[in-house]
Amino acid sequence: MAEVALIEARGITKSFGKVKALEKVNFHVGYQEIVGLVGDNGAGKSTLIKILTGVYPPEEGEIFFEGRRVYFSSPKDARALGIETVYQDLALIEQMSIARNFFLGSEPVKWVGFLPLLDSWRMTSTTEEALRGLGITTLRSTEEEVRVLSGGERQAIAIGRTLHFGAKLLILDEPTSALSIVETQKVLGYIQEAKRRGLSVILISHNLYHVYPVADRIVVLDHGRKIADLRKEETTIDEIVNMIAYGGIRV
Amino acid sequence: MARRAQAEQVVVTPRRPELWRRTLAARELGVLIALVVVLSTFSVLNRNFLTVDTFGDILTQAAELGIAAVGVTFLMIAGEFDLSVGSNFAVAGILLALLTTNLGWSPFLAIPLVLGVATAIGVLNGVITLGTRIPSFITTLGTMMFWRGIALAVTGGWPIHVLGSSRMLDLLGGMAVYQTVRISALWWLLVTVLFWFLLVKTPYGNWTFATGGKPEAARALGVPVGRVKLTNFALAGLLAGFAGFTQFGRMGSMSPVWGDGLPMETIAAAVIGGTSLMGGAGTILGTVLGAITMASIRVGLIMVGAPSYWYTAFLGAVIVVAVILNVRLGEMMAWRR
Repeated sequence: MAEVALIEARGITKSFGKVKALEKVNFHVGYQEIVGLVGDNGAGKSTLIKILTGVYPPEEGEIFFEGRRVYFSSPKDARALGIETVYQDLALIEQMSIARNFFLGSEPVKWVGFLPLLDSWRMTSTTEEALRGLGITTLRSTEEEVRVLSGGERQAIAIGRTLHFGAKLLILDEPTSALSIVETQKVLGYIQEAKRRGLSVILISHNLYHVYPVADRIVVLDHGRKIADLRKEETTIDEIVNMIAYGGIRV
Repeated sequence: MARRAQAEQVVVTPRRPELWRRTLAARELGVLIALVVVLSTFSVLNRNFLTVDTFGDILTQAAELGIAAVGVTFLMIAGEFDLSVGSNFAVAGILLALLTTNLGWSPFLAIPLVLGVATAIGVLNGVITLGTRIPSFITTLGTMMFWRGIALAVTGGWPIHVLGSSRMLDLLGGMAVYQTVRISALWWLLVTVLFWFLLVKTPYGNWTFATGGKPEAARALGVPVGRVKLTNFALAGLLAGFAGFTQFGRMGSMSPVWGDGLPMETIAAAVIGGTSLMGGAGTILGTVLGAITMASIRVGLIMVGAPSYWYTAFLGAVIVVAVILNVRLGEMMAWRR
């Protein structure tokens, strides 16, 4: 590697009881790169992500972020560096408005005397700006409750939120698993927009057909080992599908 | 033309939904309909119902329930219950009565101390619930009985009377401020405004909704879920104790059996007003309207000469109808998008 990666994990090993979830896995994501992380159930995708985001420490191996060795003792440490994860079930609260969700936990405050007031105007205008920046124009108002939104719109809010709060690495766990075809296309668009804005993205998915069009590089895990790490130009969809299905080594 | 369209897209203006849409989507719509129906029915049955005097009576009844119900609403939005509010209400009233009459304490010392005790009862509910992870419904079912028992044991089951009027009793709930409207209604107004403000206008309110709506998500975004719940348990305790003061002030005596129905009545007021039993949703205004609806039924039935037993039956019917209304209206709003 000529240049320093945004995040690099070397020789990561983790086991649960007798099961080796990961064995000496090397993994990196460059600046402004979208990496598709694929593999069958139980291949170790989630475990790898949880190690990169500080949920578990690795048993062996090292993690470097922007060239410096890092140790995460909790997800908070990873977030402080700009590693944000958007999980499948999304950290959105259905009964709350879009704007209130967007700023949850980091509400802008306007002091009136000794009273900390929510800066509602800033909340609604910033949320709208952020969502429009991602290319969402279908929302009627950011005061609407999240429960009336479609799956794709929810993804947009979750992605928009991480972008706004200065993430450097965005990790998306099965972002398209419950979406219609049209919505999937939109979400993939948001991911590309995030990259244009300078973010790096790890896209975890079962569905290679969703990952392939947007990924710059595809990493395949199988039973805790990395069996392929290929730039998109060097491979084809069929080759990777075979690898996932048969755990085959590339000839 | 094309360039203009592009320019318009760049302009960002926060929009609010139209007024009619906001009105229809308001969680309070169901209870508002219920209240109008109740008031109209009694006005038709008794001409004297729609007077300032009657309204004063309704507000007095509603205030004692409503002060406690505001705290319970806050706690329910955070996803927890407090069934011990009625016992806390009695303990606070009894303790204040004992300290100021039997022991001759100054109200300036006794009132803050007893409010502290009421808050501590709330905190204890929180500590047990959060520490052992049992449902607050069970924790507070236990503490409800425990504190009721303490109130009964301390007094031997007898009410404590204050002979003669006192400035303290007047200020807590006895004094009329306008015809039949008592000072407790003003205390309630103050509590309502403060808590409405806290819920809707501050980050803490946002955290309360998130804590009840989806705790894991809230935690992932850095909301201190446990601390929010504990604080809301404390606030529910504080307001339950304060509600006890207002009844003590109005009656000039305090009985250890009072506030018996309060746990269910506070939950009823909240639920009629659109607060979700599952947490994550609710409004202070809805609870206020819920308490006024309940008090209107009580006062109205007396005025039309129905035996007071009918109150409970009628209230039961209203609760179910109001909740059905709330749920249906909520669903309608979800489609309308």
